[in-house]
Amino acid sequence: MVSTLEPQAKIEMARKRRLLPQGMGATLPALILVLVFFVLPVVALLTRSFTEPVTGLQNYVELLGSSTYLKIFFNTFFVSALVTVISLLVGFPVAWALAIMPQRGANIVFGIVLLSMWTNLLARTYAWMVLLQRTGVINKTLMSLGIIDTPLVMVNNLVGVTVGMTYIMLPFIIIPLYGVIRKIDPMILQAAALCGATRWQAFRAVLLPLAMPGIASGALMVFVMSLGYFVTPALLGGTANMMLAELIAQFVQSLVNWGMGGAAALVLLIVTLSLYALQLRLFNAAGQGRA
Amino acid sequence: MLLNFNTLGSWKWFLIAVTTLTSAFLLLPILFIAALSFGSSQWLIFPPPSWTLKWYEALFADPRWLESAWTSFRIALIVTVLSVLIGLVASFGLVRGTFMGRGALRALFMTPMILPVVVLAVALYAFFLKVGLAGTTTGFVIAHLVVALPFSILALTGALEGFDKSIEDAAVLCGASPLKARVLITLPCISHGLFSAAIFSFLTSWDEVVLAIFMASPTLQTLPVKIWATLRQDLTPVIAAASTLLILITLILMLLAAALKKGLKA
Repeated sequence: MVSTLEPQAKIEMARKRRLLPQGMGATLPALILVLVFFVLPVVALLTRSFTEPVTGLQNYVELLGSSTYLKIFFNTFFVSALVTVISLLVGFPVAWALAIMPQRGANIVFGIVLLSMWTNLLARTYAWMVLLQRTGVINKTLMSLGIIDTPLVMVNNLVGVTVGMTYIMLPFIIIPLYGVIRKIDPMILQAAALCGATRWQAFRAVLLPLAMPGIASGALMVFVMSLGYFVTPALLGGTANMMLAELIAQFVQSLVNWGMGGAAALVLLIVTLSLYALQLRLFNAAGQGRA
Repeated sequence: MLLNFNTLGSWKWFLIAVTTLTSAFLLLPILFIAALSFGSSQWLIFPPPSWTLKWYEALFADPRWLESAWTSFRIALIVTVLSVLIGLVASFGLVRGTFMGRGALRALFMTPMILPVVVLAVALYAFFLKVGLAGTTTGFVIAHLVVALPFSILALTGALEGFDKSIEDAAVLCGASPLKARVLITLPCISHGLFSAAIFSFLTSWDEVVLAIFMASPTLQTLPVKIWATLRQDLTPVIAAASTLLILITLILMLLAAALKKGLKA
C-alpha cells in the first residue's frame, strides 16, 4: 500500500530505486569517455617518450641539451610573455572603462569583444595574414602617408605572431578583469579621494591592489593558453620563431618521432599544469584574504 | 573617483581613447574580411577596385568546400547530442550524488579544457592509429566530444545547482515516477543550461582546428581543415567568402543567445 507511506518515506523509496550508489553510475559514461579517450592516450604518449627508440631518458637529454630546442623553449616563453604583457596593458583600461561606462556604450564594446572572441579562429588569423602582408592595407597606408619607403615585413616573424595572438587573447583578459573591477566598491575610491589622495595615488594604492587577483589570474590564463598555442604561430610566425606546440606537431607529423614528440609534450604539460596549480593557489589565497 | 565616469577628469579621455582604439582593433579585421569577400581583386587589394560575388560562386561551385561544410555540420551535430546527453546524466550524478570523490571527478572532467589541445591531438592521433579510428567520422566525433564535454558539464552542473530539487520531489509525491518528474519538471526548468551546453558543444566542434588537423584524412575533412589546407597554399579571396559565412553564423548564434537571455529575464 504505497499510498499509506509517509511522504518522506516515499521520496526515500524513489531515491533507492535509482541506478547505482548515490548517483555514481550516472557519471560512468563520462568517466569511461575521459579515461579511455583522454587519460589513456595522453599517458601512452608520455610513456613513449621514455621507451622510444630505447628505454631511457635519451629523448630528454636531446631535447634539453640542444641549442635548437632550447631556442624554441625560450621563444615560446618570450612570445607568451610579450603577448600577456601587451594584452594586460591594453586590456586593463578597456575592462576599467567597461565597468564604469554608460550602459549603452558598454553594451556596444561588449558586443564587439564577444563577436571577435566567437569568430572562427582561422577567419581571424586569415584576416591578419591579409592585413599584414607585404602588399596589405597596413603597408599601403604607411607608404602612402610617407612614413615608410619599403614595405615592412610583418608576417612570418615576431610581429605577426604577437599581433595575431594578442588579438585572440584580448577578450580572455578583458572579460575576467571587467568582472573584478566591477565588484570593487566605488565608495572605497571615494574615501581615498576624501582623504586627499590624488588620482595617481588612488590608482596605485587602491584600485590596482584591489584588481590584482583579477590581473594575476587573467595574465596567468593568457600566458598558459599562449604557451600551448598552435594555429596562429604556425600561420603568422616564421620558422625562426617556432613555438613548442608546432615543435610537437612537427615531431609527430613530419619526423614521425614519437619519442621526441612525447618528451616535448610532457615538458609543455608540466609547465602548463604547474602554472595552473599556481593560479589555483593565488586564487584561493586571494579568496581567503578577502574573507 | 576612479570608478565614477564623470569624476575621472582627464583620465576619462584616456580610457575612452584606449577603449575606442581597442574596439576598432577587434572589429576592423572582421569587417575587412567581409568587405574583401565581395571585392574583385584576386590579390585582396583594399579598397577593392570593384564589387563581385564571384568568390561566393567559386565557394559554392567547389564540391570540396560544400562537402567539408557538411562534414563539419554532421560531426558538430552528433557531438552536440552526445555531449548534452552524457553531460546531463553526469551532471545529475555530480550534483545529486553523495558518493566520495565527487570534487575530484569534477576536476577530472574539466582537465581536457585546460590541457594544451595539441598534446591531446597528438596523443589521440597515436591512439587512433593503433585502434583503427584515424581518419574516421567516429574518431572525429570522439576527439571533439572529449573537448566539448567539459563545457557541457560546466553549464549543466551550474543549472542543476540553481534548481530547487524540492519541486521535483513534489512531483514525485504527487505520483510521478522519478524519471517522469525529471523529464517533465526538471528538464524544462534547466532548459537555459541545456541550451548553453548545446551551443557551446556545437561551436567547440564546429570551430575546432587542431584536433581536426590530426583527425582528418584526404577524404574526410571538416571546414576548418579545408580552410587550413587552403591557407597554407595561398590567401585566395574564396577563404574570405568562407570566413564571412562563418562570421555570419556566429553572429546569428550570438543574437539567438542574447534573445534567449532576454526572454529568460522577462
